[in-house]
Amino acid sequence: MTRIIVITSGKGGVGKTTVTANLGMTLAKMGHKVALVDGDFGLRNLDLLLGLENRVVYTAVEVLAGECRLDQALVRDKRQPGLVLLPATQNRKAEMITPNHMKWMIGELAPQFDFVLIDSPAGIEMGFKNAIAAAQEALIVTTPEISAVRDADRVIGLLEASNISPARLIVNRLRPKMVEASEMMSVEDVSEILAVQLIGVIPEDERVITSTNRGEPLVLENNPNSRAAKAFENIAHRLCGEKTPYLDLSVDRGNILTRLRKIFTK
Amino acid sequence: MNADSPSTLPANAQEITDPILPTPAQQPKLQIRLKNEDGIVKLILPTEAETPASASWNDLLEQLQQRLQANTRFWQPLAVVHLIAHDRLLDARQLQAINDALSDVSLQLQIVVTSRRQTAVAAATAGYSVTQQVSIDPLVPPTNADLTPLLAEPIYLQMTVRSGMDIRHQGNVIIMGDVNPGGEIFAAGDIIIWGRLRGIAHAGYPNNPQCLIMALQMEPTQLRIADRVARAPETPPPQFEPEIAYVTPQGIRIARAVDMKTTPYLRELALPPSLRPD
Repeated sequence: MTRIIVITSGKGGVGKTTVTANLGMTLAKMGHKVALVDGDFGLRNLDLLLGLENRVVYTAVEVLAGECRLDQALVRDKRQPGLVLLPATQNRKAEMITPNHMKWMIGELAPQFDFVLIDSPAGIEMGFKNAIAAAQEALIVTTPEISAVRDADRVIGLLEASNISPARLIVNRLRPKMVEASEMMSVEDVSEILAVQLIGVIPEDERVITSTNRGEPLVLENNPNSRAAKAFENIAHRLCGEKTPYLDLSVDRGNILTRLRKIFTK
Repeated sequence: MNADSPSTLPANAQEITDPILPTPAQQPKLQIRLKNEDGIVKLILPTEAETPASASWNDLLEQLQQRLQANTRFWQPLAVVHLIAHDRLLDARQLQAINDALSDVSLQLQIVVTSRRQTAVAAATAGYSVTQQVSIDPLVPPTNADLTPLLAEPIYLQMTVRSGMDIRHQGNVIIMGDVNPGGEIFAAGDIIIWGRLRGIAHAGYPNNPQCLIMALQMEPTQLRIADRVARAPETPPPQFEPEIAYVTPQGIRIARAVDMKTTPYLRELALPPSLRPD
């Protein structure tokens, strides 16, 4: 049975696309067949993060317009043969897409894969409605900021009304040091408000930025030191029903401190 | 917010006493009602006149789904539903959507009560029993008897009221769960929140200052009772306990729930007339 999961947040810039790319890559590494669907029509960038931009020929819009077959639009990832991307259109006719189109397209796509991950656009307008139309489950990405949490709360309400469950929570870009100094909302604060099951916490990691710019998701290269990469892997395992212990982020704080101290004493 | 002297507002609380709130005529409500009568669930849709022009069918459907999911404990599986559609025009697709929403929570739509011929035809075609009401002429204004502001039955909702949701009810409202920031509750009667109140609660809407707001944990964005508004203090208290908000001539005040019987004003509101002083 294919699992169709939408990754959404309400607010922009909290890391939906990064989470989609890294989770997709991890699931593919684990041996699953994974399709990533860029639901951000008009402002696509999932292909960029995956480093597949120069291989996009057809997009979802051409499929819907009948100008190509669905399998022609799928971009296969050479590094991970189990991973394909269905790109979104950059420019034209993005407004013509309706929730029914998405349902049809993902219905066609799903039987060939174990996981279909849909990267939703920010906001709660048409693009969001399209992205959630075919989904059965949801991952809510939020950062520990009141604006992101407020938007996530709104989105969870809309997902509940659309009967998409379970909706599970990923807290992204957590800075344990700031949490301990009471300068940032803690994971407990966030999950207390949102009242949905937590599936992972991703610490802030600068390597996410460099890997994004290179078009190589963090989990692709072996990064034994990266706690963010480890966190993505843990989420993928939990998504498959395994019980994986949470990272001890307070240890991370010690590491950062000692690392910083090393830098300064050099 | 748990002041030692319960009849004073916390020192840094802000009070706005000007009646700045809209009257009900300016703010029509969209409200679906669910009633359980002898094991039959009655789903009552708002009439066309009660529906704001801005509200779409999707708003109505979204509210229906939220409302159904907040109440699942209160009916037997496969209970029968009577849909009271009043003068609302429903086509086959919309009836199907209502039926789908009901089946999701194991309810089955059986009878459609409507005053519109088109709705009756659509419902009969889809295989439901139809009861046609005498249609009400929309041009004849309703008689005064219909306008008597009697409180409706309380609604009990087991849900988290999330950002962007608003609950409106012509009676008392009981929420089993939290009201998050950005969530709003408007009740003609009292509001009881068995959880945290972090959004906006408006009791006694629009003009009954005798109503109360109760919460296990009061951290509201705003409290409103009748035409009064109060904001929570900037710095939250170190510890929360159940509290009650009520109106005094000086504005909205908050008392600890355990002090209910000893607090002036609140005591008079809370006790039945026979037990009141004087």
